[in-house]
Amino acid sequence: MRYADFTPYDLVLLAQGLGVTLWVFLVTTAIGLVIGLAWGIIRFYRVPLATPAIDFVSEFLKNSPVLVQLFLVYFGVPGLMHVDMTPVFAATITLSANTAAFIYVIVVSAIESVGRDQIEAARAFGLSRWQVLRHIIAPQAIAFSAGPLTALLVNQLQVTSLISVIGVMDLAKIGANLNLRTLKPFVVWTVVGALYYVAAKLVALAGARIEARLRAHAVFRGL
Amino acid sequence: MLKVENVVKAFGSLTVLDGVSLAVHPGEVVTILGSSGSGKSTLIRCINGIETLDGGHITVDDFDVSKPRELAEARKRSGTVFQLFNLYPHMTALSNITLAPIEVLKRPRAEVEAEGRALLASVGLADKIDVYPAQLSGGQRQRVGICRALAMKPRYLLLDEVTSALDPEMTSEVLDILAKLAREGTTMVFVTHEIEFARRISHRIVFLEKGKLITDLATAEFFSAEGGLALPRVAQFLSKMQKA
Repeated sequence: MRYADFTPYDLVLLAQGLGVTLWVFLVTTAIGLVIGLAWGIIRFYRVPLATPAIDFVSEFLKNSPVLVQLFLVYFGVPGLMHVDMTPVFAATITLSANTAAFIYVIVVSAIESVGRDQIEAARAFGLSRWQVLRHIIAPQAIAFSAGPLTALLVNQLQVTSLISVIGVMDLAKIGANLNLRTLKPFVVWTVVGALYYVAAKLVALAGARIEARLRAHAVFRGL
Repeated sequence: MLKVENVVKAFGSLTVLDGVSLAVHPGEVVTILGSSGSGKSTLIRCINGIETLDGGHITVDDFDVSKPRELAEARKRSGTVFQLFNLYPHMTALSNITLAPIEVLKRPRAEVEAEGRALLASVGLADKIDVYPAQLSGGQRQRVGICRALAMKPRYLLLDEVTSALDPEMTSEVLDILAKLAREGTTMVFVTHEIEFARRISHRIVFLEKGKLITDLATAEFFSAEGGLALPRVAQFLSKMQKA
């Protein structure tokens, strides 16, 4: 067997890479969801100063390349603040923040999608802002945001491949290493692409199922 | 007592309420008449605290709606029925009714649900308890809206053009219920264009014109030649409405 041949162990490596990709995706999605949601709620309560600050950060995160953000965190922050930074930690921070910025946009539009008249009715009956958020806005906003959120997460899963550039051993990095060794880019990237495709498809299917359940009571199902 | 004193409300340069005063005593049915844009709905929205006042005071049983701490108490004493129903679309008819009593009055769910079922049955919707608003007709939705307000056992029922979005058949469904409530002694502030109905059920009629309250008369007096009809604007309004 020559050095450049594929071996069964390559499958183990690909599986490990896929595992790292999915782990980073799930962790950064969870963190991004918590932060994006918190930002949206702060905005709902019209907290002075906090809302413009959040808007500024979220605009920066949405309108600059993730790769640049990654370099800034991995190379820039350690030099400036004299701290150690591992590739996985830098990747987690960057992707969490980036996901949070987009989830914030979805949360804001989902909250605004709920009709003012219902909110006024609930307020007139004495419900507090928090009770309105919990009982009136949240159930409808979650149903509204399921679609956009699924689309975002499918995209963010692909975006994780950028972290291979700073040396995280994710699926794309394993693919790159495998390609360097075997010099069969067509085979390697087809397999890697297929693995991303399957993972993304699972995310999309899960999202569609959740959305269907959340909208179960909506009578209108389109024309 | 529900007291409106010298209330001023402006949206930008447009003054919608211009020094309105009104008192509603328990047991009274007071109808507010006036053309579109005269400030009727805004007055209701000021009483239930949806709009903030630019001047004057509103108190509901001595609780001032302009003071955040007292507004919560004031809101427990008034229940609003809205022109466009404003039901919660993600909740069943029963949940629409029980939400505020459970969350605001902190009453036990089982008790509130039993009352909610009885209320729906009393307006002929016993079979619609678990149905969502989208599956109800306009008249049915407004009957749920009335039940939702009644479930709070309000001292004052505020009705903001509750039949304006309904066809004549559905309107009569809703008016029958309001007539019954009036007979039972429910205190109501009733904004409407249903003049004949208002004449039957109200004790007093007030007339708003460009944000000013120009008359406040007992019903019989309002419709008499020397009372309301002696005022040119009222006579003009009534004759227009009767032609329509």
